[in-house]
Amino acid sequence: MRPLTKDLRLFLFLSLFLYFFAGWVPCISKTCLASDRLLDIQEVESPGGVKAWLVEDHTLPIVAAAFSFKGAGSDLEPADRQGLARLVSNMLDEGAGPYDSQSFQKILNDNSISLGFSSGRDDFGGSLHTLTKNKALAFTLLHLALSEPRFDAEPLERMRAANLTRIRAAQSDPEWMAARLLNDVAFAGHPYALNSGGTLTTLQKITAEDLRAFASTTLARDNLRVSVAGDITAKELGTVLDAVFGDLPEKADVPPVADLTVQNAGQTVLYKQDIPQAVIETMQPGLGRTDPDYYTGMVMNFILGGSGFGSRLTEEVREKRGLAYGINSSFYDMDHFKGLSISTSTKNESVGDVLDLVRAELKKMRDAPVTAEELASAKSYLIGAFPLELSSTGRIAGLLLDLQLDDLPVTYLDERAEKINKVTAAGVQALAQRLLTPDSLTTVIVGQPEGITPTKIVETLPNVD
Amino acid sequence: MRLILSVIVALLIAVSPAWAQDTARTKTFGAESFTLQNGMRVVVIPNRRVPVVTHMVWYGVGAADEPPGLSGIAHFVEHLMFKGTETVPPGEFSKRVRALGGNDNAFTAQDITAYFQSIAVEHLETVMRMEADRMTGLIFPSDQVDSERLVVLEERRMRTDNDPAGYFSEQIRTALFPNHPYGNPVIGWLHEMESLDRDNVMAFYKKWYAPNNAILVVSGDVTAAQLKPLAEKIYGVIPARDVPERKWTQVPPLLGEPRLVMRHAVIRQPTLQRLYRVPSAKDNKPDSLALEVLASIVGDGAAARFYKALVVDGKMATGARFVYESSALSDSTLSLSATPAQGVTLEVLEAAIDDELRKLVKDGVTPQEMAEAKTRLMDASIFARDSLQGPAMTFGYGLMTGSTIDDIEYWPYDIEAVTAEQVNDAARRFLDPDNTGTRPHVTGYMLPKEEKSE
Repeated sequence: MRPLTKDLRLFLFLSLFLYFFAGWVPCISKTCLASDRLLDIQEVESPGGVKAWLVEDHTLPIVAAAFSFKGAGSDLEPADRQGLARLVSNMLDEGAGPYDSQSFQKILNDNSISLGFSSGRDDFGGSLHTLTKNKALAFTLLHLALSEPRFDAEPLERMRAANLTRIRAAQSDPEWMAARLLNDVAFAGHPYALNSGGTLTTLQKITAEDLRAFASTTLARDNLRVSVAGDITAKELGTVLDAVFGDLPEKADVPPVADLTVQNAGQTVLYKQDIPQAVIETMQPGLGRTDPDYYTGMVMNFILGGSGFGSRLTEEVREKRGLAYGINSSFYDMDHFKGLSISTSTKNESVGDVLDLVRAELKKMRDAPVTAEELASAKSYLIGAFPLELSSTGRIAGLLLDLQLDDLPVTYLDERAEKINKVTAAGVQALAQRLLTPDSLTTVIVGQPEGITPTKIVETLPNVD
Repeated sequence: MRLILSVIVALLIAVSPAWAQDTARTKTFGAESFTLQNGMRVVVIPNRRVPVVTHMVWYGVGAADEPPGLSGIAHFVEHLMFKGTETVPPGEFSKRVRALGGNDNAFTAQDITAYFQSIAVEHLETVMRMEADRMTGLIFPSDQVDSERLVVLEERRMRTDNDPAGYFSEQIRTALFPNHPYGNPVIGWLHEMESLDRDNVMAFYKKWYAPNNAILVVSGDVTAAQLKPLAEKIYGVIPARDVPERKWTQVPPLLGEPRLVMRHAVIRQPTLQRLYRVPSAKDNKPDSLALEVLASIVGDGAAARFYKALVVDGKMATGARFVYESSALSDSTLSLSATPAQGVTLEVLEAAIDDELRKLVKDGVTPQEMAEAKTRLMDASIFARDSLQGPAMTFGYGLMTGSTIDDIEYWPYDIEAVTAEQVNDAARRFLDPDNTGTRPHVTGYMLPKEEKSE
């Protein structure tokens, strides 16, 4: 019987959950929350001036690090180089220093070290997960990956081909199609509208020189954020930070990116597909962590559709009418865009009804205050459930990194419960009136929806081929 | 004399490693267990990191227990467990858990159905009462049955009907398990899901949901000593009931090699998948341990055999996976999949895969491969402790599919004891493309509509 490894993850994938992983997804989004008493965060500065947040925990012989380079996002890519940052993230662990791709992968695997990189629209990051007994090697390999990536031809062709396969496989997936279309429509005219995973065309044009240029100019000391949790002391971490990150260039060349607001408000854009269930994505204005109303927004979103069962959208659309398996609302808290997205899917015949219900709930949130009971339940959950985020070393590191990416102080978590408790029903209603636009949502639909009139029908999905 | 004594001692230690290991073995999780008066088993995995717990009840019933013609009913009951008892109105269960600062969910698989909450330890008793209440107290209001039927139909659409790749995954499993309940999807076949009603759902629930057909698993900030009195007074008072024996039809010996070909206009990426029916840990523990090591050697990572041979060196594929699931009440599955490189047809890819398997069968694994795989697997058991819910999932799933607590706790030692001969023997018996015996694998091709595989 294997412990929780691939085997069990496969089992979980083959099982059917009541609610689509609602309670299971680790808190990696911008709405991450924390409890003051449960996290002792140390601010560590290395002799060489590299900073990190650390939560020491010697219970298990495990160390987890999460790091990110702020601003080194796919939003920097020109249209003919979509997928550049993605390919960089695929390639940094495919050979570095004296290790070619296979050797690098083998040494990671043989020592049970998880080292990976990921690119997002705003930032470029990565994570390291290792047993204590292998941590010296793990840090050495991370240092090599960051400072001496090889970008060899053979693994580059392999990663390129893997990405093309990924895109082609996704082309039968209506949820992927809807996400692609939403980005195109809601962010129209802005780099965010491009395909951060690349297109079948652009991925074939990207060269090793392109990758090297991106990595060497955007990943630097001055845009680095590091969080570490687990079996390591502050003193040791100081030495490690210099060893791992000390060779990075001092300054990142990260050009500024413009801000934008929701595009195509009031439009309903349809991509027809011969499928029984239509996928619906909507976007409207929202807010982010640095907004003074952030906690009010957190409470509002929880009640509206962020909490799964108990949220108004789930209640009206799933529980009462059986119109959807999943419906949720969530904030898009990006560096240059703040939005609120509601997404769901329903059989084609019910699309009109579902969108009517969505608009009705948005209006209700504007027209009347939330009830005392809803408010109390929301606060109780948002405060009370936070400790569940602290149940693994990796999750703690990720949680800390999220806070650092918004340049929040290390004391941020200490005030969280108090700020949530201060949210009022009147405040939620005022915020709803400020943000929510039920009559001018940006809507994209994939399927053969009934009960709606699209304002635009697209024949081809943009930035795929 | 001293020299002879020390030589004898050295020899004893050298020839009886098992003895030395027995006294030195440490448990991976340190779980404690007991059984309630009504037969309900309880497992506690203490983890004092954070004052929270994951509380799970696992029932010995799953999709594989469904009567013919009623596929999807086990999963439907899972949904309806949230739809009302005398004390907890429809939809209230999860709302109450949320209001207490907890997360909850449930899931259905072929062998089991499980319900769980993760919450501050101070609320453990509350969720225990709620869970115990719905073990026997569901009332199945008609309007709830009707609306929830719509929900599971939407779920099926989302998972399967909306993407031909979903149909492919479903159908290849059906092809692997003729005459066997695993051949039916857990979500159910669409036409049968539509005929699920209050009567048949209630009958299924009453037939299977009983404390003596359930295991309670709690991980987190609690000990067995703390949990036992609570478990006794909350779950222990529910009377045991007769529960049917789980008798499933089996796949007969087969001589033909089933193949599946699916072409669809919306498929852009040709894909090959192959499934093998192999022993589970319950069927044959030594075989399953050997298969776990084998799967790690062949499939774990970019430097492992499968990916290296097909993708890196052979350039036949853009991706390749090789995975074995060890835990099942009946047969386990070993799954192979690959996506072809540009210009390579699925036939050519399949031939390359078979050649790799022939090499494995003929030459066997190396001592280095064995050592590396064991290290990886045993390291995984340390990582497994770094989770609140993970250990509860591991114990629940393991115990419900025939493993014992010792099997789970000492798994790393069992892995360490696997020999190359056992691994090679497993490869010969289960993976030889030229000798599939009466237990053939199924190979599936998923292709675009046109007759090309680029």
